[in-house]
Amino acid sequence: MEVKILTEHYDKDEYVTLKGYQKNGGYEIIKKALKMKPEEIIQLVKDSGLRGRGGAGFPTGMKWSFLPKNNEPRYLLCNADEGEPGTYKDRLMMERAPHQLIEGMVISAHAVQSKKSYIYIRGEYTYPYKVVEKAIREAYDAGFLGKNILGTGFDHDMDIYRGAGAYICGEETGMISSLEGLKGQPKLKPPFPAVQGYLRKPTIVNNVETLACVTYIVKDGPQVFRKNGTEKSPGTKLFSISGDLQKPGNYEVALGISLMDMIQMAGGLKPGRKLKAVIPGGSSAPVLTAEEAQKAKMDFDSLAAMGTMLGSGAVIVIDDSQCMVDILSVIMSFYHHESCGQCTPCREGTGWLDKVVRGIVSGQGRVQDIDLIETVAKNMMGRTICALSDAAAMPAISFVTKFRDEFEFFVREKKSKVKGDYKIKGLSDAQVHH
Amino acid sequence: MPKCTINGKEVEVQPGQTIMQAFHQMKEEIAYYCWHPGLSVAGVCRMCMVDIEGNPKLQIACNTPVVEGMKISNRTEKVKDAAKWTLDFHLINHPLDCPICDQAGECGLQEFYMAYGKYDPEMAAPKQKKRKAVDLGPTVVLDTERCILCSRCVRFTDEVSKTHELGIFSRGDHSEIGTFENKPLDNKYSTNVVDICPVGALTSKDFRFRQRVWYLKEFNSICNGCSTGCNVKISYNQMGLYRVKPVYNEKVNGHWMCDEGREIYKPVNLDRRLKKARTNSGGKVTEVETASAVRQMGELLKSTVAKHGPDSVGLVLTGQYTNEEYEALISYFVKDLKSKKIFHWKNDPEKFDEFDGFLLRGDKNPNTAGLKKSLDAVGIKGDWKDLEPAHLKVLVVAAPENQVVYPDTAAKAAGFAKIPSVIWLTPTRDTNYDLSQWQIPVKSFAEKNGTFINAQGLAQKFKKGVSIVHDAVSLEELVEMISVDHVHSHVQAEARL
Amino acid sequence: MFQLSKEGLSFVKKELTRYEDKRSAVIPALYRAQEEHGWINDDVIEHLAQVMEIPEAHIFEVATFYTMFNKQPVGKNHVQVCCNISCAMAGGRELLGSMLEKNHVGLDEVTKDGKFSFSKVECLGSCGTAPMMQVNDDYYENLDQKKVDEILRGLK
Repeated sequence: MEVKILTEHYDKDEYVTLKGYQKNGGYEIIKKALKMKPEEIIQLVKDSGLRGRGGAGFPTGMKWSFLPKNNEPRYLLCNADEGEPGTYKDRLMMERAPHQLIEGMVISAHAVQSKKSYIYIRGEYTYPYKVVEKAIREAYDAGFLGKNILGTGFDHDMDIYRGAGAYICGEETGMISSLEGLKGQPKLKPPFPAVQGYLRKPTIVNNVETLACVTYIVKDGPQVFRKNGTEKSPGTKLFSISGDLQKPGNYEVALGISLMDMIQMAGGLKPGRKLKAVIPGGSSAPVLTAEEAQKAKMDFDSLAAMGTMLGSGAVIVIDDSQCMVDILSVIMSFYHHESCGQCTPCREGTGWLDKVVRGIVSGQGRVQDIDLIETVAKNMMGRTICALSDAAAMPAISFVTKFRDEFEFFVREKKSKVKGDYKIKGLSDAQVHH
Repeated sequence: MPKCTINGKEVEVQPGQTIMQAFHQMKEEIAYYCWHPGLSVAGVCRMCMVDIEGNPKLQIACNTPVVEGMKISNRTEKVKDAAKWTLDFHLINHPLDCPICDQAGECGLQEFYMAYGKYDPEMAAPKQKKRKAVDLGPTVVLDTERCILCSRCVRFTDEVSKTHELGIFSRGDHSEIGTFENKPLDNKYSTNVVDICPVGALTSKDFRFRQRVWYLKEFNSICNGCSTGCNVKISYNQMGLYRVKPVYNEKVNGHWMCDEGREIYKPVNLDRRLKKARTNSGGKVTEVETASAVRQMGELLKSTVAKHGPDSVGLVLTGQYTNEEYEALISYFVKDLKSKKIFHWKNDPEKFDEFDGFLLRGDKNPNTAGLKKSLDAVGIKGDWKDLEPAHLKVLVVAAPENQVVYPDTAAKAAGFAKIPSVIWLTPTRDTNYDLSQWQIPVKSFAEKNGTFINAQGLAQKFKKGVSIVHDAVSLEELVEMISVDHVHSHVQAEARL
Repeated sequence: MFQLSKEGLSFVKKELTRYEDKRSAVIPALYRAQEEHGWINDDVIEHLAQVMEIPEAHIFEVATFYTMFNKQPVGKNHVQVCCNISCAMAGGRELLGSMLEKNHVGLDEVTKDGKFSFSKVECLGSCGTAPMMQVNDDYYENLDQKKVDEILRGLK
């Protein structure tokens, strides 16, 4: 079931070094790519149908073609903020294959004609940061970065910048704000980053995995890329699978496989447990019931048709030992903590949702609170600068709709239907949430 | 010039302008907090959502450029629902401070609640607690619970005053406006943030708790604080004047005014005024009727000129009076008394030509240019150094309204001590004048019609707003009273008001 | 009054020209100041404002916005326990609770000997090895009570 294209050599410790990377086929395609015209590469990426691997699934070739046709300096920003709960695939690549990312970035930079790129890495990833920083220096020493790369006349400088703990910096304009030295607050769109991004210059923001894919598209062409995956979601993707499983981990598979196959691949459920729910694409994705999970296919459009999303590809498996009200309280607490606070519906709405769910969990919920969660969440959607508000609202609506019985039980009986009167030893109610 | 339709009405805008600017141009009602025509667009309050035909999602008016043919409405059910909920979100953590909040009556939340709200609140959880009554600096008090985080004040200190004292700290619903502890909000334009704050988060220390705004009326005027001539409006009621706020004028002051100008209402109020004319003969002070004092002054001037010649009477003028007043009084001195002894008293000759590049000038007079014009018309230079007290028998002084900006008043008063008769024409009461023989109450700028010419040469007319001291006269009226038959002129002067 | 060390100053000066805009140097400068001072207080902000010629309010905004800048002192070993979805499902919150009890300290507070402080943090990107925690810069994954006790015992 696993298709190891990106991850083919991740088991080799030497792959992290430049020499080891080269020994296993690395820094070959860059030679081919830098001799091609930028438009040619963009066309290949367009034809491949590659969709952003960070969460939004936006067609990469299309994003690149939004750049203005002028001489303004362009920036390529690699989004390595990886904050979506459940996601840890970019960390794998950066720790095991930093040069894979660098090669993909230089090729992409050539395609979008950018002379400067930044890798924006979340502050908590201190170890991957050191690994990538070292790899960048190795790349400079070997002439894959800097002036006149491989004698092709292409100059490119790359630097790495640490975030400091803010999920919202994973949003592309939040990231740009952070890189500019401001608070990581998303910017109004329009203008879009491709037109006016970092320091008001044309900017392309792409996820780590997306950029790494570019090398393979240039290597074997769009048709080979499309051999895996579906028509509208071509290629392979790294899925971070976690939760109540025997073998959680990062798995590279073809897009479109069934969710149940994926769960089997990850070792299946723990003995004696039954599947209750699955979050298919990170905390922002509406939850699926076990019944829905049977029918789910892991590609962008199938999941969208089911009212949820592929997102970052973070699959969280929930078995019947878990309390859905408790899990929602964890998710709401997260968004409350991470809202940047700029726009009113999100700032106040995330706080409100957190308080209402917390109220239910601490045995003080009212009957009307369940409908209230849905109403508040619905009214947070589509009215804000960025999608964090929607990301908080959608799971809330899905949990109270699909697992309403657990919420009603908690309100009525003042304890969890699954875990009973459960308190976490050492942590008071106030401390469990902020 | 793109044309669009707003609520069924067609409007043409400049290319690149936003829907919000179109609404503003048409004076069409739209809800908003964070947008301000004098600041950059923030787009954070989300109140100004509009329905654009063909667009499934509502868009914010402040950041959407007008495209030719756009059909825009902010009266659809979709918009009303969005506005109601966005307002609801603004209010869920807002403290119920209305009974003690200065902003009540002119509050953005109250205003739009009446238009879009009127719902039963469903928020039952405890509200977010934050700092209240924070001393931000010399002029402003902050209540962070009331703040709706529109960021107008932060943008002001970044973009307009460029002093960068304010910021929004933390994130999410723990966000708070504030200053860094060791750097208070202390710049010469700080009170503007009180004006632009849509709610009672930023309040003026001067105005705090003094009056409810529904007991106040407003009149427009020109600031008499310096030669910039900012356009202002002054709040008042029968008990006096309370505060000064800027009025937009593209050429003069934009949307703003300085902190010094906020004080100009104080010398106008009764407690600072000379209420009745006074005469001091040999240490004995008597109050007299203004008309009587003016008549006596007229007779004294006439008889002194007759006895000692026109050079024995002098006139000191500050740049604080209107063009009309200067013309009348200078004409009286030059034509009727044949005297050319007129002198220009500047507030601080060394700082006179200073300008901070924005609105503050060292010439703390609203009409120096008007005075110069009137003196030029009669060929008089008015240099102070030409004033020789020893040669004068009578000196008439048109004193400044705000003595704070005339630091040498005491010295000047002392310098006139040798002159046998000094007559202070003054709006305000000042003990330094008590040494002189006569004090006559004159009208403050707020009590008369007139014209000031500002430092840019712009003539600005203003109208009387209030009448505080009934016995005060304008210099025009004073001249009328002494140059024509008394009873007749008094009636005429009254009729003109 | 806090002052950066000579090396710290030279680091910050370099950062000011490393990026396209000098304001980008604020985050790296705060990290460096935190390394030397342990946490960010008013003195740190004032000093950086002076050194970098950036208004205090701007630096303070950044310092208060991001979670990784400590706004109060932390222990020599700052233990950050992930309590997000996968880790919560796997018992991360219970481990945090037990750490607080065993070390007789409250959440975000420093133990009397200054050795530990325990905080609850959001997803650290290690969901496959839940429950887990980060101590200063290092990740400790696949935890259980026994492992936690061992790790904390072993920390200096």
